[in-house]
Amino acid sequence: MIAETWALTVRELKKWVRTPALVFIGIFQPIIWIALFGSAFNPSNLVPSSFGAVQPPPEQLNQIRQSILTQTFGGAPTYITYLTGGMLGVLLLFTSAFSGGSLVWDRRFGFLNKLLASPIPRSAIFFSRVLASVIKGLSQSVLVFFIAILVPNGLRLSPEFSMIDFIAVFFTLFLVAIGFSSLFTAMAVRVKKWETLIAVVNLLNLPLLFASSALLPISSMPDWLQGVAKVNPISVGADVSRTLIVYGSLSPPQTADVLFGMTYLLAFAALTTFIGVITSRLALKAE
Amino acid sequence: MSKIIEAEDLTKIYAGNLTAVDHVSFSVDEGTLFGFLGPNGAGKTTTIKMLTTLASITSGKASVAYHDCAKEPNEVRKSIGIVPQDLAVDDDLTGIENVMLAAKLYRVPESIARKRAEELINLVDLKDASKRLVATYSGGMRKRLELIVGLIHQPRIFFLDEPTLGLDIQTRAVIWDYIKRLNKEHNLTIFMTTHYLEEADSLCDSVAIIDHGKIRISGSPSELKEKVGGDVLEIDVTNGASLTEFFRSIQGVKEVKQTGSKYRIKIPRAEEALPTIFEGISAKGLKIREVSLNKPTLDEVFLEVTGRSLRDEPSGAEDSFQRMITSRRRL
Ligand SMILES: Nc1ncnc2c1ncn2[C@@H]1O[C@H](COP(=O)(O)OP(=O)(O)OP(=O)(O)O)[C@@H](O)[C@H]1O
Ligand SMILES: [Mg+2]
Repeated sequence: MIAETWALTVRELKKWVRTPALVFIGIFQPIIWIALFGSAFNPSNLVPSSFGAVQPPPEQLNQIRQSILTQTFGGAPTYITYLTGGMLGVLLLFTSAFSGGSLVWDRRFGFLNKLLASPIPRSAIFFSRVLASVIKGLSQSVLVFFIAILVPNGLRLSPEFSMIDFIAVFFTLFLVAIGFSSLFTAMAVRVKKWETLIAVVNLLNLPLLFASSALLPISSMPDWLQGVAKVNPISVGADVSRTLIVYGSLSPPQTADVLFGMTYLLAFAALTTFIGVITSRLALKAE
Repeated sequence: MSKIIEAEDLTKIYAGNLTAVDHVSFSVDEGTLFGFLGPNGAGKTTTIKMLTTLASITSGKASVAYHDCAKEPNEVRKSIGIVPQDLAVDDDLTGIENVMLAAKLYRVPESIARKRAEELINLVDLKDASKRLVATYSGGMRKRLELIVGLIHQPRIFFLDEPTLGLDIQTRAVIWDYIKRLNKEHNLTIFMTTHYLEEADSLCDSVAIIDHGKIRISGSPSELKEKVGGDVLEIDVTNGASLTEFFRSIQGVKEVKQTGSKYRIKIPRAEEALPTIFEGISAKGLKIREVSLNKPTLDEVFLEVTGRSLRDEPSGAEDSFQRMITSRRRL
C-alpha cells in the first residue's frame, strides 16, 4: 500500500516539477495576493482624518488607526501579517482544488484502467493524489511564507516566534491541505470531464475564501455569515497560524484555542480522508 | 492441459440495454496462444475487460488463472499483463520511467526490474529513446513501450488488444518472435485480438470468431478452415462425360461446381484426396489440363461466419485509426 502510493505520488510530483510554469504560478499567485491586495487594502486607512466637524489630532488618529489592526485584526502589526496567516491556507485550498485533476486525465487516457487492472489497493490511487497535492502545496506555502517576510511592510513575525511555532504553523497548514485535498480528490474520482471539475472548483473556492477569516475578521461579518465562517476550516487554519505568527509565545487561553483549532482540523482531515477512501472504493471499480 | 481461462455464458449488458457480449463460452489452455477475432464492435474489448476485472460481469462466469474474476479480482490481477487497445502509457514520463513505475506497482524488486527493463527496452529497440518523454514518441514507439510495460512483472497470462495495430512489419515480426519465445520458455498464455488474420492464422493455437456479442465459431485455425468447407480444388479436364457425380462420390467432398470443362471442388485436406482424384480421372480416359489448389485462409472463414471481410474495410482505416489515437494523445 505505502510503496504503491509513494510510486504514484512520485509520478505526480515528476509531472509537476517538469512543468516549471505550474510551480512558478503556484508561488507567484499568493505572492501577488499578499503584495498587491495586502498593500492596496490597508484597513487602517479606512479611518478618515475628520469626522464631520470633529477633527481628532494626528496622534489620536494614528492611535485609532493602529488599534483597528490590534483590536479587530487579531493584534496583527500590519495587514499583510494578518493576510499571510490566511493566504497560506487559501494557497493550500487552491492547490488542493485540483488534487484530483490528474485522475480525470488518467481516466480519459486509459491510464486509470491500467491501474485498476493491477493488484494495487484502490485507495493507493486516492492517497497518491492527496499526498502529491499536500507536498506541492506545503512546499509552495513555505516559500510564500519567507517571501512575505521580504515584502515591504509585510509579514512581521512576533519576536517570540520560535522553531516550534514555525512547525506548528505548518502542521496546521498540513492538516488544512490533507482535508481539502481529500475532499476535492473524493469529488474528482467520480468526475469524467475536466470541465465539470473546473466548474465544481470554481463553485466552491470563492465562497470558501470569502466566508472565512482569511481576508477580513469574522467579527466584521453579518451574523448569518459569521456562523458559516466560524466552521470553515480555512478560518480555523488562518486563526491558528495567525495567533502563532503574531504572538509567538502563547497565553494559556491562546494555547487552548490553538489546540482546539488543530483538533478541529485533524477531525476535518480525518473525515474527508474517510469520505475519500469510501468514494474511491465505490467509484474506482469495474464499469 | 489445464484451462487457465474459462468463460461460461459470459454476458455484458451496458447501461441502456446494449448487450455487448452475449452468453459467450470458451476456454484457453495454459501456455497456448488464443486469438479472439471479430469485426468492429463485436465485443472483443468488452470480453477482455471482463476477464481483466475492468468491467463487471452482468451474468455468467469467468475465471482467469484459476481464480473467479468476480470473486477474487485481486488474485486475477496479480497474474495478468495487459496491453489495452487505446494506448495508456504516460506521456509526461520517460519510457524507462513508465516501465519502472509498472514494476513498482507490481512489486518487482528494484534490481530485478532494472535488469529486466533494460532487456525489454533493447528488445523493442527503444534504447535510444528510453530516456525521452513519451510525448515525443511515435505511435509505433508507444505501442512497443506499452508491450514491455505489460511484461515487466512476468505475468502468467498476457492480454493483448490489437497489439500490432499500427506497427511496421519488421517490428511486428520482432514482437511476435519475442512473445512466442515467452510462450515457449515461460509457458506464457496469450489472449489477443487482432485484425491481421494471417497473423492469427500463423500464431494462434486456437481462435474464436465473435460477432454481435456471440461466438460464431471456434477451434484451431486449421479446424475452422475445414469447417467452412476446406480447400478449394480447381480442375480443368479434357472434354468428356461429366465428372460431377464422380467428384461427389469422393469422401469428404462438400461441394462441386461445374462450369464447362472446369470443376471447382470444396474438400478438406485436398492433398490427401488428390491421388484418388487423379487415378479416377485417368481411369475414365480423361486428361487433366490444369489443377490448382487453394488453401482457405481465415479471411474466408471470417467472411463465411460474419458475412463481412476484414479486407473489405477501406485500406486506410487502420492508419487513420492509429492517427486518431496518436493525435488524441498530443492534445
Ligand atoms: N462503456 C461502454 N458503455 C456502453 N457501451 C459500450 C461501452 N463499451 C463498449 N460498448 C459497446 O459494446 C459493443 C462492443 O464494444 P467493444 O469495444 O467490446 O467492441 P470490439 O469488438 O472491441 O470492437 P473494435 O474492433 O472496434 O475494438 C459496441 O457496440 C460498443 O458500442
Ligand atoms: Mg476493441
